[in-house]
Amino acid sequence: MDEHTDWNWELFDEIVEDVEENKNIIQCIACGKCVGDCPAAKVSNFNSRKIIKKVLRGDKSVLKDSDIWHCYLCERCKRVCPKENINIPLLIINLRNESFKRGFGPRYNDLRKYVEMSERFLTQGIILEEPLGEDLPQERIDELDTICDFARIKYVFKASNEKQKAKRKRN
Amino acid sequence: MNFNTLALDLQAIEEEFPESPLDYFKEKKLCLFRACLEKYFPGVRWGFQDLLEELQLEVTTCKNQSCCSGTFFQRNLITRAQFSAINERNLSEMNQQADIAFFSCNGCYNSLLRGRDFLKTPEVRIKTQEILNTIHKKVGVERYPGIYKILENPKIKLVHDLDFLYLIRNDVLNTLKFDLRDLKVAVHYGCHYLNLSRDKKTIESYLGSKTKLEELIELFGGIPVDYQERESCCGWGASQLLINPREALKITYTKLKSAENVGADFILMPCPTCLYTLSKPEYRDNIKNWFGEKLEIPTIHLNELIAILRGCEEERCISLTRKTPRLGEIFDIITQQ
Ligand code: SF4
Ligand code: SF4
Repeated sequence: MDEHTDWNWELFDEIVEDVEENKNIIQCIACGKCVGDCPAAKVSNFNSRKIIKKVLRGDKSVLKDSDIWHCYLCERCKRVCPKENINIPLLIINLRNESFKRGFGPRYNDLRKYVEMSERFLTQGIILEEPLGEDLPQERIDELDTICDFARIKYVFKASNEKQKAKRKRN
Repeated sequence: MNFNTLALDLQAIEEEFPESPLDYFKEKKLCLFRACLEKYFPGVRWGFQDLLEELQLEVTTCKNQSCCSGTFFQRNLITRAQFSAINERNLSEMNQQADIAFFSCNGCYNSLLRGRDFLKTPEVRIKTQEILNTIHKKVGVERYPGIYKILENPKIKLVHDLDFLYLIRNDVLNTLKFDLRDLKVAVHYGCHYLNLSRDKKTIESYLGSKTKLEELIELFGGIPVDYQERESCCGWGASQLLINPREALKITYTKLKSAENVGADFILMPCPTCLYTLSKPEYRDNIKNWFGEKLEIPTIHLNELIAILRGCEEERCISLTRKTPRLGEIFDIITQQ
């Protein structure tokens, strides 16, 4: 039986336009091997086969569901998939991006664990202090700051600053 | 442009230097990529650095290198082009100072190869170069030619510490003061070593079973023990442990328990991120609270183990501030020979 009879290319086209490699999901034979070996599937409702099916059917609910945020990006599925070029972790990152763009992604609160890491990266170039104290020179940190212009990492950093300011005001 | 050959060709070295692959590295400039999580496990860096120095190799770190930024890319906080630009910056800096870069962390190793991989896509390549041009405009002068250009045919090669240590295993063995005294060791390779295709030339080396850690354990006088969850994830899962801690910790719990069940004395791994996850006292406490079991199996990075076996001081190998359960016991068993 063909699992993908009711195709709708709209979502697929969008995803492929963004990351061409994702066109390979068309080769999926729905064997479920990726699910059998997937750590996320063992502990949550995450199901990579179903996610591919939704994308191929143009079912945009996939962008709203929390499922896509449960993938471990461990690349195990790539190794066990009988098709050579299906890259599920890349597809997941791409779907998360689309989800973010449409305002369904994690809210600031869910990203708060990244605040400290983002701040350290943008102000020190690292996410944990260097054990031997070999800090990055300021000019190099400025380069990283320029690279990250307009990135969400800056939004997280900014949002945390604003939140702290508001808190200080309240107190 | 050459986007495929960043990983050091280990097979070619073995063929060229069948007697002593170490000879290939002599006279070469070597650089250690600084992994963020070495902050908690400085023995991962020192253990490796001390060994290279004893083997008379010239080794440095690159002070201009930043974090690999894989964490941010994996959480969609930077784009592919931004990730690749950060990557190219790091590669340029290392390319300027060294011939070979070593990686103690699966995540960093994967990141550097992945950033380069993305440049195969023309749009990403164009955007990455635009970002580098913006930096160039802001900075004005180039500290060295090509610093703000995507590297064409870089001379720098990348190698994972485990692959290097395995390649020169007989030389490593000669530096050891102690052996593993038949300790039973469970191995954890980590997903981004086990499932990585980016550094493999053949399908067999990608899909075939990985046994380098087990072979090293035998060589060092230990007994590798198999366990059901050998290939499973540590639970970190690109920060799942921060986002969905209960789910992720279940994976950690299952892994640790599986290794305890077969009577392993400790778990050995080649990645500080996995080490962090599998050993953090807070996580062990949560395992006890959430799943009702106190798991005490010690966890050690390969670089730390080699430092212990070479007779380094305890503080330098395994950092005494690190509260990994029963680590001191393993240290004593090995060193009181
Ligand atoms: S990368 Fe994601 S989908 Fe693939 S096996 Fe890992 S957790 Fe599952
Ligand atoms: S293993 Fe590959 S072919 Fe099979 S369901 Fe998963 S993605 Fe599709």
